Amino acid sequence: MASAGGAPQEPREPVLSARNLVRGYRMGEQTLEVLAGTHVDLYAGESVAIMGRSGSGKSTLLHSLGLLDRPDSGSLVVHGVETTTLTRSARARLRNKRIGYVFQFYHLIPELSALDNALLPRRIEVGPLRWIGKQKEMREHARALLDELGLSTRMAHKPSQLSGGERQRVAIARALMSEPTLLLCDEPTGNLDERTSEVIADLLFQVSVERSHTLVLVTHDSDLAARADRRFQLHEGKLEAFGA
Amino acid sequence: MYRLHLASRYTFARPVSYLAMVAIGLAVMALIVVLSIMNGFLEETRSFLRGTTADIVVFPHQARYAYSRDVLEGAVAEHPDVASACARLVRPGIFKVHGRPPVFHGNSLSASQHQVLVLGVDAKSEIKSTDFAEYLDRVENPEFRVADPSDPFDLPVEDIREREFLYTQSPTVLISEEMMRGLLLQRGDALTIVTVPDSALQLDGAPVRPASQTFLVTGAYNTGHYSHDQANVYMSTEDFRSWSGTQHEVSELYVAVSPAADLSVVRDELDAKLRSIGLAGQVETWEDRHRVWLGAVENERNILLVIFLFFLLLVCTITFSVLTMMVQQKVRDIGILSAMGAPAGGVGAVFAVCGIYIATLGGLFGLVSGVALAANINKVKDALENLLGIEIFKKEIYAFSEIPVALDHTLNIAIAGVTVVGAVLICMMPAFRAARMDPVEALRHE
Repeated sequence: MASAGGAPQEPREPVLSARNLVRGYRMGEQTLEVLAGTHVDLYAGESVAIMGRSGSGKSTLLHSLGLLDRPDSGSLVVHGVETTTLTRSARARLRNKRIGYVFQFYHLIPELSALDNALLPRRIEVGPLRWIGKQKEMREHARALLDELGLSTRMAHKPSQLSGGERQRVAIARALMSEPTLLLCDEPTGNLDERTSEVIADLLFQVSVERSHTLVLVTHDSDLAARADRRFQLHEGKLEAFGA
Repeated sequence: MYRLHLASRYTFARPVSYLAMVAIGLAVMALIVVLSIMNGFLEETRSFLRGTTADIVVFPHQARYAYSRDVLEGAVAEHPDVASACARLVRPGIFKVHGRPPVFHGNSLSASQHQVLVLGVDAKSEIKSTDFAEYLDRVENPEFRVADPSDPFDLPVEDIREREFLYTQSPTVLISEEMMRGLLLQRGDALTIVTVPDSALQLDGAPVRPASQTFLVTGAYNTGHYSHDQANVYMSTEDFRSWSGTQHEVSELYVAVSPAADLSVVRDELDAKLRSIGLAGQVETWEDRHRVWLGAVENERNILLVIFLFFLLLVCTITFSVLTMMVQQKVRDIGILSAMGAPAGGVGAVFAVCGIYIATLGGLFGLVSGVALAANINKVKDALENLLGIEIFKKEIYAFSEIPVALDHTLNIAIAGVTVVGAVLICMMPAFRAARMDPVEALRHE
């Protein structure tokens, strides 16, 4: 039975609270239950690492926490809003404003420059008229963010013209653009060499602390997980705290 | 804003999008050009048939055609909507150009003898009731023009060719510019026209002796329609009657009607009137007379509209394929957009806008290029003929001296519009598929 381990010192409201999440996939006649009653509370400014074997359901859990996937049952409250009953578009809006994603394979849009990739969440957030009014300000914000992540000379470059580490930094910039409260990272260093992985990990923990984002890391890398405030193992569909 | 932004990036970064635009454009262009030519063909044909036929034609009853032209003209002229009328005598003939060996050279116009329809007309009435004056004016070679367009059968003595001095007192004939050019004739040249006289037609079984007469060419007319110009010669009614030996005064009466009048109403009223005074015959509007020909052209145009549906289907298939391919290639992007918080409708809209870009730009390209090509089709034809050394448009076949074109802008815009709307609508299917895609599955897509 998994529950939030290593509770914060001061009692406070969680940014995200998952209760008894169940998610299964039909495989012919049988249903494979990937999440089998998962509980977790995530607090502002903390970092959490989730580990587990391949196929244990780490990404499924991350997608459920990030409102990309809808659990079959259970409760998922984000910023006080029960999200399991929200419509698809309401969840999309909440995801756009509160949640930033960083993926193992960067997932940048190949046709867009680094700057335009970083701007994407804000473009989605505002309508055409507001975009015209706020364009300059948003571009400045994206430039400042890319500059902060060491990409000042790469803003006009397309993803194909960037190295793996640079692509992941663009992906981080994109995730931070909407100033989310939750930063969900799925194997963020899984596709990078050791040196670059270290740089990216430093960056993620640094921005998490500086901006008080809740950082959730799904990883196989025990060194990376060791840097998190709390660590969980996903086993048989349930989160088990370890190494508190 | 991201919808337009991403759609433009997706569309203009892919060569296949341009290919789809060109395909749509070519389909629209082809249809506009073909329909413009078909419309031009129909318009020219109608204008030509109306010009050479007049609004209404009265054919006197065969058994009664000895009656006076004045009586028939008088009866017709009483109708308030009749503006003018002119009687014509019509008879087939064969003419022989003097000084030419009696052999064929393959082209009928260079043959020594030529089969024609001889029209006996009163020039003044003909000018009032048909486009006769325009045909005289349309002659391109000034040397072929008649000396006096108000009296086209007059040939000044000084214009008679020296070698034809024997025929100074001969009657005159007006032939087409096409014939003059093809037969190397000049004004004042003589030719002989042969026909079967009325007297030879009256006794069954008796040997038929043709009537022959030498005529001097006063000049040329030009209707712009090859088949007509190659087969018709004009002479005055007096010369016609003396040449053919006929006692008849009217083969057909050409009636010009006031522009506001309804031709079929006037036709029916004239028919009733002629029957009531015992001059029963056949009364036809120019459209009745050429109904088969006009019907065939109209039918071809309708067939083209059916073909348009196939073009539309082709355009829709191309657009659908390109958009489906694009959605297939962009499955992971769909997942990314969803992860960034784009709603399903927004994701679908990105691809719908791609389809709108492709269809609209393709349709616009087709509209502009189609109109430009149709408007300059004869220049393009000439350039291609010069370049390839082949005759693309044979006027002998098509009866027109150049490719007729009538641009109907409403129809052209409708063609482009319907194509664009059809293509956009079909784009909604892949766009809808993109919108419904599961974002998690999309992110995992390899």
